[in-house]
This record gives sequence, C-alpha cells and structure tokens, in this order.
Amino acid sequence: MFRWSIGLAGALVLVGRAVAKPIAFADGTTVMVEYGAGTMTEEQVFYAPRYDVSVGGGHLELDSDETTKVRRISYARLNYLVRRWNLDDAQANVFAWGGLGSATGDTFSGTLLAENAGAQADYETRRVYASLKTDWQGSSAFSHRIDTLQLGLAPYKHDYDGLASWFLVQARQYTGGIHRGVESALLLRLFKGGAWVEAGVTNGGNLQAMAMFNF
Amino acid sequence: MKLLSRLLISLLLAAAASVHAATIEMTVNGLVCAFCAQGIEKQLRKFPATADVVVSLEHKLVAVALKDGQDIADAELRRALTNAGYAVKSIQRTDTPIADLRKRVKQAKP
Repeated sequence: MFRWSIGLAGALVLVGRAVAKPIAFADGTTVMVEYGAGTMTEEQVFYAPRYDVSVGGGHLELDSDETTKVRRISYARLNYLVRRWNLDDAQANVFAWGGLGSATGDTFSGTLLAENAGAQADYETRRVYASLKTDWQGSSAFSHRIDTLQLGLAPYKHDYDGLASWFLVQARQYTGGIHRGVESALLLRLFKGGAWVEAGVTNGGNLQAMAMFNF
Repeated sequence: MKLLSRLLISLLLAAAASVHAATIEMTVNGLVCAFCAQGIEKQLRKFPATADVVVSLEHKLVAVALKDGQDIADAELRRALTNAGYAVKSIQRTDTPIADLRKRVKQAKP
C-alpha cells in the first residue's frame, strides 16, 4: 500500500508537468498551481537563468481518493534542455531532469529522501503537438516509472497576441504497481501571452486543472 | 579651422544617425508558441537601443524598433536570439515604422 501511495503521488505530480515544457524561456520565471482529480494540489516555481536550464522547487500535497492516505512532498529540481531543433515551421526538444526531495506521510514514519530523474522529447508546430515522456522516482522504500504520450491538435493557428487553443489526448502507462493498463485523458488547453490554463477529464471521470504563468 | 572641422564632423554624425534604419526585421526559425515570442521579446527589450518589439509567429518575424540615432549590431542580435534558444535566418534593416509593421502583420493574419 505504501508503494501504491507514493506511486500515486508521483503520477499526480506528472499530470501537470506532462503538458508543459520544464523550461519556459531564458530569464523567465514559471509559477504553476494545479488541482489534480480531487487528490492533489501542487505549487511549483522555476527560474531559468538560461534558455536551456531551469532550477526551482515545489510542494505537493496528496489525498488519495481510494484511501485516507496523505502524502506531502517538497522537492528541488534541475531541468536541462539537451537538444533543440528550430525548424522552419516547427520546434523539437529533448529535455532531461533530476532532483531530490523529502517525503512525509501517514504510511511511513519520519522523512524519506526521494530521488527523481526523467526525460521528455517533444515536437510542435502551430497546429500539431506530440510529446513522449518518461519519469522515474525512487527512494529506499519505492521505485516506479511513468511513461506519458500526448498528441495535440489546434483548431486554428494562433499568434503571439491571440488566444491559443489546443485539444489533447493523453495515454499513460505506469510501472511499479501504480495502475493497471493505460490511463487516458482528454484535455483542453488555452493560453495567451504568459498565462496558461488547462482542464480535462480522465477516463475515470475525474477533473484535472492547471494554471501556469510565465514572466 | 579646428572649429570648422568639429562642426563638419558633428554634421556628418548627425546625418549618419538620420539615415539609420528605423527597424530591424529578423526571420527566426522555431517560432511556434506565445512562450517563444515572450522569451525573445524579453531578451530584445534589454537592449538600451530598443524602442519597441513586434513578434509574429505567422510570419516568423521578430522586429525591433530602434531609438533615434541608436543601433544594435547584427552579432549582438544573433547572440541575443541564440541565448533565447532560437535560430536567426536573416536580418534586414528597413525604414518601415514599427506601427506600420504591426498593422501589416495584423492584417495578414490567417
């Protein structure tokens, strides 16, 4: 049950990260808040001193919808843009990240050191979006990996001063006994300028929502 | 004679400033989202010579309006765009006022 609970925590953290690049832009600060399917809330702050690096941290609070288990995880993380391809009408990226955190909860005593490593590859035009991500989390008491595929379509091409709209489908597979089979979700993403809002529903009928601000 | 030379140099400098391009237009690859544009605009506004910035994803265009008599070297512009994470394809200096450019970009939207 302990492994399941920590796995759920990791999975819910990733709901927000899966749709956003871990680095917005050079000298940019990203603030994100998320409500995930009634079982998590999360706040994150990252600062990118360069276009290819961001550092920061966050706090995650989990309340399982199947049990009374509660988890609180505070973490620090470094994100790195391994490679970017700037094409005529598209952009592709490969990111990698790693971090350390501490976890407390009511299924174990004291505080656990948690480790994190992951990578993401994405391709984006103004009408099509695709990303594939793998993320691993582990500690002395648990280890799991979550793989996420996202495909998006924009009904129109947005410009800098206009509203961008995206429809996305997401498929996710878990290791470490977190979830059986593939979980799917439908999401609507809207953003304008530095503000980003996203909401969707999983195949289990749960709401996911996120707001992100870059400045 | 010295005074005349100084006056002549001043006049030449003033004339040179008056023929400076009003706007620098750059074609940039990889412009696909508002966050890209936001990052580029932030970098370019750091130049003291920058009066205004226009970014168009549709036209892959990044334009900088220059303050009177000021300029930004091509190498500095390329460095700024590279540091923002993007690739500059071309740089062109024009006399097009930034307001006209903004209007043209808006009118040509898909």
